[in-house]
Amino acid sequence: MLPNLGPVGPFPDAPLGDHLERRWLHYAFRSPSGDVSVIANLSTLGSSGPAAVGQSMSILLVHDREAGWHSSQFNASVTPRAWSSFGASKSPSRMRISSPTHGPSVDLRLTRTGRPCTSQCAPFGLDQHLRWQSEPGIRATGVTAASGGDERPVRLVGYHERVRGRWGWPDLGGWVFGFVNDTPAPSGPPAYSVVFTLITPRDNADAATGSVMLWRSGRLVRHFPRRRIDVAVSGSLSRDDVHVLPPLAATLGTAPTAEVPARLVIVAQTGDDRLCIDVDARTAGRIVNSSELGLAPFSVHEVLGPAVVTGHVGGRQLGFTAGAVVEFAGGAHAD
Amino acid sequence: MPTDHASTSPGPQRAATDSDGPEPDGPDSDGPEPTGADVFTATVHELTQRAPAIVAAAAAELGAISLALHFGDGTAGALSAHRSRLIAAAHSPASADVEVYFDARAMNLIFDLASRPIDEVLPGSLDVRGPRDQVLAVWRAMRLLSQRAAGLRAVQELWRSYRDASPHLWGKPPGATNNVIDGTAADGWAAPRDTGWRALDFFDHRQPTGDRPLVGGTVASAPRSLWDGTRATGWWLPEPVADADLVDVMTACRDRVRREMNRLIPDRQPKSSLYELIRAYPTRQGKGLRPTLTLAACAAFGGRPDDAVRVAAALELFHNGFLIHDDIADESTHRRGRPTLHTEHGVGLAVNAGDGINLLAVDAVLSNLETLGLARTLGLIHEVLHMCRETVEGQAIELEWIRRATVPRSDQAYYRMSTKKTGWYTCISPCRLGAVCAGESGPALDVFNEAFRWIGIAFQIQDDVLNLIGEEALYGKEPLGDLLEGKRTVMLIHLMRTADDRDRARLAELLARPRQGRAQEDAAEILAAMQHYGSIDYAIDLADRLARRGTQRFERDLRAVPENEGKALLRQIANYVTTRPL
Repeated sequence: MLPNLGPVGPFPDAPLGDHLERRWLHYAFRSPSGDVSVIANLSTLGSSGPAAVGQSMSILLVHDREAGWHSSQFNASVTPRAWSSFGASKSPSRMRISSPTHGPSVDLRLTRTGRPCTSQCAPFGLDQHLRWQSEPGIRATGVTAASGGDERPVRLVGYHERVRGRWGWPDLGGWVFGFVNDTPAPSGPPAYSVVFTLITPRDNADAATGSVMLWRSGRLVRHFPRRRIDVAVSGSLSRDDVHVLPPLAATLGTAPTAEVPARLVIVAQTGDDRLCIDVDARTAGRIVNSSELGLAPFSVHEVLGPAVVTGHVGGRQLGFTAGAVVEFAGGAHAD
Repeated sequence: MPTDHASTSPGPQRAATDSDGPEPDGPDSDGPEPTGADVFTATVHELTQRAPAIVAAAAAELGAISLALHFGDGTAGALSAHRSRLIAAAHSPASADVEVYFDARAMNLIFDLASRPIDEVLPGSLDVRGPRDQVLAVWRAMRLLSQRAAGLRAVQELWRSYRDASPHLWGKPPGATNNVIDGTAADGWAAPRDTGWRALDFFDHRQPTGDRPLVGGTVASAPRSLWDGTRATGWWLPEPVADADLVDVMTACRDRVRREMNRLIPDRQPKSSLYELIRAYPTRQGKGLRPTLTLAACAAFGGRPDDAVRVAAALELFHNGFLIHDDIADESTHRRGRPTLHTEHGVGLAVNAGDGINLLAVDAVLSNLETLGLARTLGLIHEVLHMCRETVEGQAIELEWIRRATVPRSDQAYYRMSTKKTGWYTCISPCRLGAVCAGESGPALDVFNEAFRWIGIAFQIQDDVLNLIGEEALYGKEPLGDLLEGKRTVMLIHLMRTADDRDRARLAELLARPRQGRAQEDAAEILAAMQHYGSIDYAIDLADRLARRGTQRFERDLRAVPENEGKALLRQIANYVTTRPL
């Protein structure tokens, strides 16, 4: 039996049907020097019942090399409305995300420089799936402020994605996701961008979904499918470098989770095309998400560190070093 | 107190964990091209030292089966098991139960370092010929030797150099004809270090991190695959426990603790008559068994190994203090090939230096207050006091035996004395102290007692055997220090129990003489009697049985301790006694 992949269309403008249906918009940016990083996730969870009203949550993370990690609770406000390149013609280019009290805030002007990939879908469990569409090379210019700090002008480059699906955290298992943008010219897209995803459901070790994608000058030039990628990790990031977020999580006796790998290597090859991504983790913010189906929280580790990308694609050698954002997510059934 | 290789004769003394026998011919880039038989023999030799638990497990699988090994280069070898030891030889055996053929395909599948070790030796990947039940046993033994041993860096180096020297024996790696490396088509052979288009291989060869990351100097974390195109492993799942390289880890632990000892010894007056003597003594350290036990036990119970370094240093200081006093009591003239402290500087200064070292050790234990807190420090003090009491009681028992010129009749009396004199502070207390550093207390600490009691006794018996026969084999000398000192060993107890009346009377006369009145000829006479009555073989066999009892108790008593790298290291040490070459 084929799994039910939800309403027709990759990202339908349809109500979320039950308490496991979700959608979100995700943003992650880094300054070329790596001094400032901004990560935000605006999510909506469906609800059952006749008067069902979805539950919206937004969280903002700002990492400053000097001041460390700062996070809102799951109640950041977004004004005037969420920006998305997937509806670029209608969306405003300015977006402000802020904490209601004493948290970090950002006020950014967002610009796309390239094109997104086609949507991808990971089916798992009996009737669950996660569908996503990625776009690297997004520019963000404006100001950021850590908790209670002064505003700081920034010029960032990053990533945006939209997600829709129906899943429970224990069945989903976990994922390794990330991106690297080559340092861009003052205007225009980065010379190269790489986005990688590996979703490993709890059951069926051979049913992982993954891909490595390479953009050149804003255009997707290569998509390495899951059978042609190879992912390995080494070492552990010191627990002193993993910061539990949002602030409330630290006061609730949140259980410890697995150690975050210190190094990630992803190798992709198709025909003569080869790509190798080598990420060296330096710090991580652990976002503790409650699970609707169990007591163990689902943890998303936002990991920052330099990455070395080398390869040979379409007859061209490529290689660059830039800051990466990697997510190690999982643990809802095994914390 | 343990003799720890004290002797009455100068000359090179063997360390507690020294391997025996000449080094087998391994692959050497400067020498002749290594053969398959050479590299296989060298692998078993390395494993015996570095991963005794693997060797013991493989030997248990083999049992009495003898193997004839045939390699693709035309050489042959032999493999058999004796007790918990593997005996490998680079020549064809006279007869064998099972024939094993390592052709090029088998080399690729089993020891191919271009890819990670496979989980199973797949049916058909190794040509084994013999009775069905024996073939299956050989399969299991080979799987242990190949898959688990292939994770050890030292073994990898052996096989890599062999493969580099003899690529024609290996066949083409998968996909070698289409392999493009840095723009160059690598048609034909591809040495493993030149590939790298697999993520794990990248870690190993293209961008190695240097030394494997050490966590607190005890445990190593190897790279692992999350997805290889066919199977996924969640990044959050516990890592499989890697087999520790016992030699490397013991060296790392010993050096780390030695640094801490040097830090603890003050740089003040009087130097020449006290602190310089104290500072010079740690340079006589052995291979680091006690520090490794302490740090590994701490890691096994979930603690940070670094937290146990200071108490491990304190333990070494206690050890040194005891040894100085022990040498005076035993009238030893040499220790590890150097004059004992009282021989060099006089009894007065030596006694004082021993007292000084013991005070520094107490100070070192107390200094854990700042890092471990009051409760754990009190636990450490309690353990240290218990250890010291057991040790001096054991020493008193043996000195009394010697003073009264008596030899106990039963082995049980020896077990009791040995446990008190050496077992506690060589094996049991280091483990308990490490666990205290990890926050354990009370009955949880007792899980070590029985396992390491038997292992400690077996270790001491083996040391005593080596004191009699080891040095003779290695150095061509017969120092026979234990016999000159009249040390009550299992061999001596067995001899006095089994000798006929006439011989027993003669031996009693020899043993009744004072230490200075016993000549080398007397010791040789006792040794000859031991050989005549089979006392040495009896001791070797007894040590093996006790060691196996210890490893069985280890598995049973520590079942509740989760499988982690600290526990894996403790298991390697426990098995070291069973596989130690004698």
